[in-house]
Amino acid sequence: MAVKKLNKDKVKEALQELTKFRLIAPAKSDEVVVFKQISDPEEAFLDYGNSTVPPKKVVFPQTETLFRFQRGNPELREKNVEEEGTTVIFGLRPCDARAMSIVDNLFSWDYEDPYYLKRRELTTLVGMGCVNPPSVNCFCTSVGGEPCGTENLDILLIDLGEGYLVRELTEKGKKLAETIGSFLEDAPGGSEAKAEELSGSAKEAVSRSIDTSGIEAKLPTLWESPLWKEVSAACLGCGICTYLCPTCHCFDIQDEVEGAEGRRCRMWDSCMFRAHTLHASGPNPRPARKERTRNRINHKYSYFPGKFGVIACVGCGRCINLCPVNIDILEILGKVVEA
Amino acid sequence: MVDVEKLREIAREVVSREDVRQLIGYRQGTYGFRARPAFITSPEEVDQLIFSPACVNNLATYLTLEERLPVPRGQEPDLRKVAVMVKGCDSRALVQQMEEKAYERDRIVVLGIPCTGVVDMDKVEKRFPNVLSRGEIALEGDKFVLSFDGKREEVPKEELLADKCKRCRYPTPLVYDQLLDEEVSRFADDDYADVLALEKRSAEEKWAYWEEKFSRCIRCYSCRNVCPMCYCEDCVLDRLNPQWMRRSVDISETTAYHIARAYHLAGRCIQCGECQRVCPVEIPLMELNRKFYKDVEELYDYEPGTDAEAPPLLATFKVDDREDFIL
Amino acid sequence: MAEKNSDFEPNIVAFLCNWCSYAGADLAGTSRIQYPSNVRVIRVMCSGRVNPLFVMNALQQGADGVLISGCHPGDCHYMQGNYYARRRFMLMRNFLEYLGVEPERVRMSWVSASEGAKWKEVIEEVVSGVKSVGPMNKFQRRQLNW
Repeated sequence: MAVKKLNKDKVKEALQELTKFRLIAPAKSDEVVVFKQISDPEEAFLDYGNSTVPPKKVVFPQTETLFRFQRGNPELREKNVEEEGTTVIFGLRPCDARAMSIVDNLFSWDYEDPYYLKRRELTTLVGMGCVNPPSVNCFCTSVGGEPCGTENLDILLIDLGEGYLVRELTEKGKKLAETIGSFLEDAPGGSEAKAEELSGSAKEAVSRSIDTSGIEAKLPTLWESPLWKEVSAACLGCGICTYLCPTCHCFDIQDEVEGAEGRRCRMWDSCMFRAHTLHASGPNPRPARKERTRNRINHKYSYFPGKFGVIACVGCGRCINLCPVNIDILEILGKVVEA
Repeated sequence: MVDVEKLREIAREVVSREDVRQLIGYRQGTYGFRARPAFITSPEEVDQLIFSPACVNNLATYLTLEERLPVPRGQEPDLRKVAVMVKGCDSRALVQQMEEKAYERDRIVVLGIPCTGVVDMDKVEKRFPNVLSRGEIALEGDKFVLSFDGKREEVPKEELLADKCKRCRYPTPLVYDQLLDEEVSRFADDDYADVLALEKRSAEEKWAYWEEKFSRCIRCYSCRNVCPMCYCEDCVLDRLNPQWMRRSVDISETTAYHIARAYHLAGRCIQCGECQRVCPVEIPLMELNRKFYKDVEELYDYEPGTDAEAPPLLATFKVDDREDFIL
Repeated sequence: MAEKNSDFEPNIVAFLCNWCSYAGADLAGTSRIQYPSNVRVIRVMCSGRVNPLFVMNALQQGADGVLISGCHPGDCHYMQGNYYARRRFMLMRNFLEYLGVEPERVRMSWVSASEGAKWKEVIEEVVSGVKSVGPMNKFQRRQLNW
């Protein structure tokens, strides 16, 4: 694979070139870092830890129209994802990129979801390696990732100080690198070694960890354990841990009607909400926060690996960082291991 | 400062009582400076309890949050009391809940903590990033002292104090069975400077300001769930028929959500600031709540959460309420 | 904005109480009093029935202005309904203004069953107020988009 370098003084120009696609990059909204479509390279904010909301919303939008309908007209007009055009997500973290490959399993499983898969096909992922793990609660190395991992990325950038080392990883990535080829230069000798060294030290710097080896098999045995009541006592039942999780993918489908016209849309839902499992006839199979918390952990660490062979958690640490009551998934898993 | 030994001693007594089911207090968090809620049911667990300026949560929320599930046949419902630790602001939530008859006073045991202010955890973590090992925060005079990783750092109180504390009118709990420390007299007040400044701007500027904030909202509903005053069993947001706010997330529905949330707290918000604290995308929700708080105070001379005997603001009226806006 | 939209005809949703304002508007009609035709009337039993969510939802669904009208204080068919409404909408109006919704868009009036002429004045005032601030362009539902 070719080794190129993108100097930092050329980044703006390269981004300008990329705005001919639908360019999604980290940007600041007040003090909050969000991934959003940018048309001006000045908006991009690349010197960031990680975004609050993961970039999964680009391929799996919080709300998306599936088709539209009209009263008296039997024809449905389906959404054509292709119209959104080629998308480049620039500067996402390797964990968030890896998360997309995990979610792919679900959307291409018993039913191939055309909306999601089309969007994935149209999207090129340009990752930004974590030379410094962005938070104390990062634990990607425990769940199969690493700070400068390349899984599912098309291009990986590694910050060498004065510029980024550009690793082209796929055909898609190679093609994208060609479009900004004029801003790239050959990396000087030793760059590759320096990048290796940085990713090695980043790996060392990941401070939290958990041994996940026995958890999948153990979780079903703890169904009635008092542990769940204990760890969920403080839970508020909000959607922070799930909405901000790069691998959570539950959705709800609703029809929205305006006069004689309407649309069917799909929107994020969270298993931490009471209404998520509430039946129309009244009963709720997950009646309390205890059952919902148990489901969240089981889904990530038992059901999903059982079905697809991969843990539905990439260790980004968002759910730990942002939980209002300090519910800590690593602590829960630790208790599972001990139990 | 609350003496932790004394706190634990009192807590042990309370938890040992036969008519008390559990005590809700604070314990050390899982990393850094965090503290988190503790649910104590036996005297052996009492030694977990702490109180420090890191204890930011409003525990009054849990009194109304716990699910009341059907009791299995042959079992009696557990009607014993719940004991709860409250700071000044949190105690106002209890007062307001009781004003609204959420429960009777004799259902709860209140351990009041005269509070000299808590930290804003975002400010702490910005100042001391990447602290994994458990650290401690204490207030000494006008400085917060943070000890972690064998280090000791002093920071002026002003720099880490939560914004709500800079406006706090009631540092000593308004309702309690036992007070854990000497009373603290009022050390701050709200001048509504930010609300007044925003009020003066043009309609277009105001909307531009809020549109930016609301467009970040991901509708995780943490602001609703954490709120001690949001305890409707059947929330208008979860209703499908009529569906006042659609589940789809766009600026229209999100604005509608924020209008509904803030309005439901008109004359009820007790200024604990939890909604703004928990918001992952930092929407300044207290600027919405304080607008109502200010208007309610000016127009109706009413302060929520200060008098459990008073009728709720919007369930009462005066014949001579202002009506100069009416045609 | 008013200059730009000189031919702008606003949509105004009016919530009228059954006992006074609706009868007042009816009187205006039977007396053949001419008033602007921008108002869409929704009859409710009492101004106290009007949930602030109605106002929010009307603005979302494309109303440029909302009017709530009830009996004069002391005349409420249900004794107190209009007093509660008065408190509620004082706060609602102030709050919407704080978000950037011009106060001209959310109005309240007392119109009794005998005040057909006042109804005309109220509507003229409301319509000219909304015209002066132009179409609602803040948080109304956009045309259903993809």
